[in-house]
Amino acid sequence: MDNKRLLAAIAISIGILLMFDVFNRPAREAQRQAAQNVQQSQTSSVPLPQANTALNPAGVASTGGNDGAPITPAPRLRIESPRVEGSLNLRGARLDDLVLRDYRETIQPNSPNVRVLAPREDPAAYFAQWGWTAADGRTAVPGPSTDWTAEGGSLTPATPVTLRWDNGAGQRFEIALSLDANFMVTAEQRVVNTGAEPVQVLPWARVRREHTPVVAGYYILHEGFVGVLDGRLRETKYADAKTEAARRNGGPALEQEGAGGWAGFTDKYWLAALAPVDQAGRDRAAFRHTSEGGQDRWQVDFSPTSAVTAEPGATAGFATRLFAGAKEVHLLDSYTSNLGITDFDKAIDFGWFYYITKPFFYGLDWLYKLTGNFGVAILIFTIALKILFFPLANKSYKSMARMKTLGPKMQELKERNKDDPAKMQQEMMTLYKTEKINPAAGCLPILLQIPVFFSLYKVLFVTIEMRHAPFFGWIRDLSAPDPTNLFTLFGLIPWDAPAFLHMPAWAIIMGITMFIQFKLNPTPPDPIQAKLFAFMPIIFTFMLASFPAGLVIYWSWNNLLSVAQQYYIGREDRIARANEKALART
Amino acid sequence: MSAASVDPVAEALKLGIRAYQFTLRPFIGAHCRFHPHCSAYGLEALSEHGALRGTALTARRVLRCNPWNPGGYDPVPPAKKT
Repeated sequence: MDNKRLLAAIAISIGILLMFDVFNRPAREAQRQAAQNVQQSQTSSVPLPQANTALNPAGVASTGGNDGAPITPAPRLRIESPRVEGSLNLRGARLDDLVLRDYRETIQPNSPNVRVLAPREDPAAYFAQWGWTAADGRTAVPGPSTDWTAEGGSLTPATPVTLRWDNGAGQRFEIALSLDANFMVTAEQRVVNTGAEPVQVLPWARVRREHTPVVAGYYILHEGFVGVLDGRLRETKYADAKTEAARRNGGPALEQEGAGGWAGFTDKYWLAALAPVDQAGRDRAAFRHTSEGGQDRWQVDFSPTSAVTAEPGATAGFATRLFAGAKEVHLLDSYTSNLGITDFDKAIDFGWFYYITKPFFYGLDWLYKLTGNFGVAILIFTIALKILFFPLANKSYKSMARMKTLGPKMQELKERNKDDPAKMQQEMMTLYKTEKINPAAGCLPILLQIPVFFSLYKVLFVTIEMRHAPFFGWIRDLSAPDPTNLFTLFGLIPWDAPAFLHMPAWAIIMGITMFIQFKLNPTPPDPIQAKLFAFMPIIFTFMLASFPAGLVIYWSWNNLLSVAQQYYIGREDRIARANEKALART
Repeated sequence: MSAASVDPVAEALKLGIRAYQFTLRPFIGAHCRFHPHCSAYGLEALSEHGALRGTALTARRVLRCNPWNPGGYDPVPPAKKT
């Protein structure tokens, strides 16, 4: 039948695509790495853009260039707190050096701290900056090579610092910076007008990324531009922002006016984002992409919806917050409740099932604190869910006695329809109905469970708690792929296996548990489906080989619990069948 | 109306059910209390009754497919002659 052949083709294509993705992932990583290296070597030679003085928020995009070669080394303001350390480049007021003291790059205890922000000279250039555009076309505003003065020592949670610059024409510009105990910097931009004429300026704050980060590239995890603007979550991938900006001839990939909100760049675990302090007022936010000498530059900026006016003797301001740090759920929640930042927790990609995934996170986190091991928390949480759904799966085989009396009827029915399985099944169903027993749980309870178990999977994927969390045996980081490999006989062969020949122990365990689970499931009536059914455990073993170990462990455990559950539910069926046989013998 | 074979929405929905049968179903197993199974019922209902009524029939069937319904033989009702 043509239809079946078509379906077979579809099934095989899906399989090939999955495999292709798996085998190709390391290659793609290598490609990105290479691209980064090229970028690194070019950074120094590519001329930086000239300052753009046009009044228009897009002008914000290119005000970051150097106006000329700086002669003196740039002075820096030290930033220090128990959780972060770094410095602010006083030339241009750029916060371009920030590392997180609580997070390290790898699980080695002496590995370097995670760097969130890096200077322009760095291949991973990534910084925040505050500035102004002259809206009246005549006010002298600070530029990218303006040297700001800062009084006092470092910027710490206890000691805020104000940056000052006088334009020599009657206006003083100020940026009052304060740092909290975690990852939030508040910046109040002010222009103090001591001149005789009113001045009009457009203050802005931006986060700029001058390289394209390596993204994990998983379909279910967003990395790139992110924000809640005018009450709506906006997520734009780097590639999409580039396409969109090109479509608008270099305009912003996204521009949104609205009240409050926040916007920035998200990595899997880290975030750098801006939010207006006054969440009730209206502001304008934009996602931008520009190309400079073939290098991609990404930018998120906030500004008031129109220029602000400082009358003679008066001050005009704009205040924003900058978050640069780790996406810890409780911390983001506290910023929403204490600072009023709208839906700040959505920086974590909780996905479509937010109202399931978020509570799941709290449950997991509670178990994690209780047990002290995130892997154990995953195991306990999965069991709890299974127990919760168990009544749905098990409300069957209520009456053993009825099943016994049914034995002979069933036997007779099977004899009668030996050559017509479809007819046999139909009659069996009718028999179940008249006798008011039915061995299957039904489609509804099963379908209801899909979003639940997907949600758990999703939470495990995004949560930072899993990062560098150890488990039993050889797993020292649940968020990294299992390091063991069958193709080196788990380390017995001193051979550096290519990336596509990575078959870790936990993936094999997953494959075996899935195989057993599939064996217990009824085989689909359709022969093509049945074929696919048989291959699924193999496909998934390969597919999950490069996945975070925590997910593979969760998957294995879930399979194992399903097998146990099916075995338990089936016990009465087995007794009934034994009785049938006994009856048949007499 | 049985000219449903040219109904693109119904075809798209049927493709969705097909996709389910080939991807999710192997994981969760077949647990249907009826004959024909819910997914087969859905395919047939969409072919026979078009997107709108087909979806309604399928939704009704899945909602009935729970432990408190006796289940049994439950074919797609025939399309009304027009």
